[in-house]
Amino acid sequence: MKQTPRMATLLRMFLAVLTAAWLAAPTARAQLQIQITSGVSNPVPIAIVPFAEAPTDYTDVADVIQNDLVGSGRFTALSRDRMPAKPTNAADVKFADWKAAGSDYVVVGQVTPIAGGQLAVDFNLLNALTGQNIARQRFVGSSTALRNAAHRVSDVIYQAITGIRGAFATRIAYVAIVGQGADQRFQLVIADADGYNQHLILESRFPIMSPAWSPDGQWIAYVSFENHLSAVYVQRVLTGQRTQVSMRAGINGAPSWSPDSRKLALTLSGDSGHPQIYILDLSTQQLTRITDVPAINTEAAWSPDGRYIYFTSDRAGEPQIYRIGASPGSATERITFTDEYNAGPHLSADGKMLAMVTRDDSGNYRIAVQNVATGDFRVLTHGRLDTSPSFAPNGASIMYAVRPGQGEAGILATTSVDGLTGLSLKPTKGEVRDPSWGPFIQ
Amino acid sequence: MTEYVRDRWVSIGMSVLLHGSLLALLAFGFWHFHQQQQAAPSVPINATVVDARTLKGTGTVSTPAPQPKQPPPQPEQPPEGPPPPTPDELAMRQQAAQAEAEHEAEAQKQLLARQQAEQARQEQQQKEQAAAEQAAQAKQAEEAQAAAQADKAAKARKLAAAKKKAAAAKLAAQKEERKLAEEKKLAEEQAAAERAARVADLQRSLREDEQATAASGALASWQSAITSRIQNAWIRPPTAQPGIKCVLNVGLVPGGSVTGVSIGECNGDDAVRQSIQTAVYNASPLPPPPNGIPFPRQLIITFQPTN
Repeated sequence: MKQTPRMATLLRMFLAVLTAAWLAAPTARAQLQIQITSGVSNPVPIAIVPFAEAPTDYTDVADVIQNDLVGSGRFTALSRDRMPAKPTNAADVKFADWKAAGSDYVVVGQVTPIAGGQLAVDFNLLNALTGQNIARQRFVGSSTALRNAAHRVSDVIYQAITGIRGAFATRIAYVAIVGQGADQRFQLVIADADGYNQHLILESRFPIMSPAWSPDGQWIAYVSFENHLSAVYVQRVLTGQRTQVSMRAGINGAPSWSPDSRKLALTLSGDSGHPQIYILDLSTQQLTRITDVPAINTEAAWSPDGRYIYFTSDRAGEPQIYRIGASPGSATERITFTDEYNAGPHLSADGKMLAMVTRDDSGNYRIAVQNVATGDFRVLTHGRLDTSPSFAPNGASIMYAVRPGQGEAGILATTSVDGLTGLSLKPTKGEVRDPSWGPFIQ
Repeated sequence: MTEYVRDRWVSIGMSVLLHGSLLALLAFGFWHFHQQQQAAPSVPINATVVDARTLKGTGTVSTPAPQPKQPPPQPEQPPEGPPPPTPDELAMRQQAAQAEAEHEAEAQKQLLARQQAEQARQEQQQKEQAAAEQAAQAKQAEEAQAAAQADKAAKARKLAAAKKKAAAAKLAAQKEERKLAEEKKLAEEQAAAERAARVADLQRSLREDEQATAASGALASWQSAITSRIQNAWIRPPTAQPGIKCVLNVGLVPGGSVTGVSIGECNGDDAVRQSIQTAVYNASPLPPPPNGIPFPRQLIITFQPTN
């Protein structure tokens, strides 16, 4: 008997739903149905309002965020002089004003000193059209880590609006060449993904080439020509401690890490004139030959699932990209067919996209991507000599080296994988080349 | 109990036999004494006395009566004209005879009593047996009657159940018949209603077609204008891949301004949801409909990227 009122309520609810459905049915027929099957790839308009800054701080957090987002190619930022106001709290944001200014999203925030000399970075991401507060978070760090905090804010915003994990709070390694003649020095540098916060981890009178960040983020492998002989080294990023892992006769080059960071794929020529791909187990020093074709086989790139090694080979005449199972005696298959020259493979972290250098009919070397599954091929850059593509860990961008023109110093640039935007990194002294984008920092 | 009764009868039999023998011996002695007295009268006197005493003692001690089945022998008639005894002998004889007579009388009496008792017992037994038989008969009769009654009742019940079942079946059949009839009627009514609705629909559709034919070009272009406006406003995030389908219910006011957007069925991530809501607001106000068509209050927009 006690349940009767409840049953009655349920019954009423059921009837209400039925009635609603019945009423809705003819209404739905009267509604206009619109089918949207495509959209645009325009950058998302966003306003990053200057943060309320701590008096001790000289880092413009909003500016760092804005550069990150705009540099990704997926955002366009409202310039500060066109902002209708400079609120630093979500409560002070008048959405209509920002909508009128053309911003879909507004970011406001503050940097405040907290206990222990630390700074807290708080921000809110607001949708100016719906009035929703999409994300808010606090990052805490020392004043020297403010740029990193800003990159982390960028990561959150990027993911909220694009659906892809942000890769702004990551690092890159590259080779810089400074000085001339007898004073020329080769430097191995690590920096934030936006090119700031540079740290020299190796300097040499001899060429340094092909730095490769290990998937676990702990090591960088590279080729150094100390005493004019090529050798492969691995160096611990934090301590600078380095180990020579291969200095065999002939070429020792193009290291590529296995997904578990325990092995390197290398190019070794031995005494013969044909470089071949080998796998070197770093803990046992065991060396396993993978390719066995009398041709140039080089620039190994391990697939993220560890099953394949992609590499460049001129076995068909011109360089093309092939892949082979990561164990001796595996079958080889050719991957690229589009242009006459495709080299320098690098795979996205999900293994779906292959980046490479391709030479077009006009003799320009450009960065291209190919969908591994479908074979779809697309040229992303427009330079004359673009080389050394390296995927961001989120697969959304590729960093590469640009040689702008004869006699001009090379720089680093990024492009979105859809090729819509490109960005040159902060200019550095001398020439930079051979970028390697590190993994996500946990 | 049976053991005891048998022992008792054996004792009685033994006692009767003994008495009978003693009496016979006494009679023989008496007769012999008379004869001996005639020849040598002094010798057998002692024997007689001893016998008489023994007899008496035995008769006193022996409690059970003589066996009734075998009547005790009658004492022999004394021979007529016996020689006159001595006064002592006479006294003794008299005494013995008296004792004998008393004993005899007692035995007779006891026998009679026993016979009577036996008869009574037999009568009683017969009576009891008769009563038992009568009772048994009565009981049998009673049982038979009860069985008959039970049988009758069972039959009656069975009959009643069968009757009931038949009635229920009949009722069910009637019910089913009624139901079928109702359903049929309902179906007919529905069919009629549907026919009517179809006719109405057709008529309305014809009317609408007439109107629509005039407006169809304009309508299609309006719809296409809305679609195009929203597609241009939709900055599609990389996660909006084919396979994503999101339905938006959009509230409109006359003039085409979007007043509200609610997401219905949607398998996209947060970025997709943000992007489609933002797109619809950015497309507002929507292009106005052609003349004669009212602005709908609601718009259902399905975002379903195809490539």
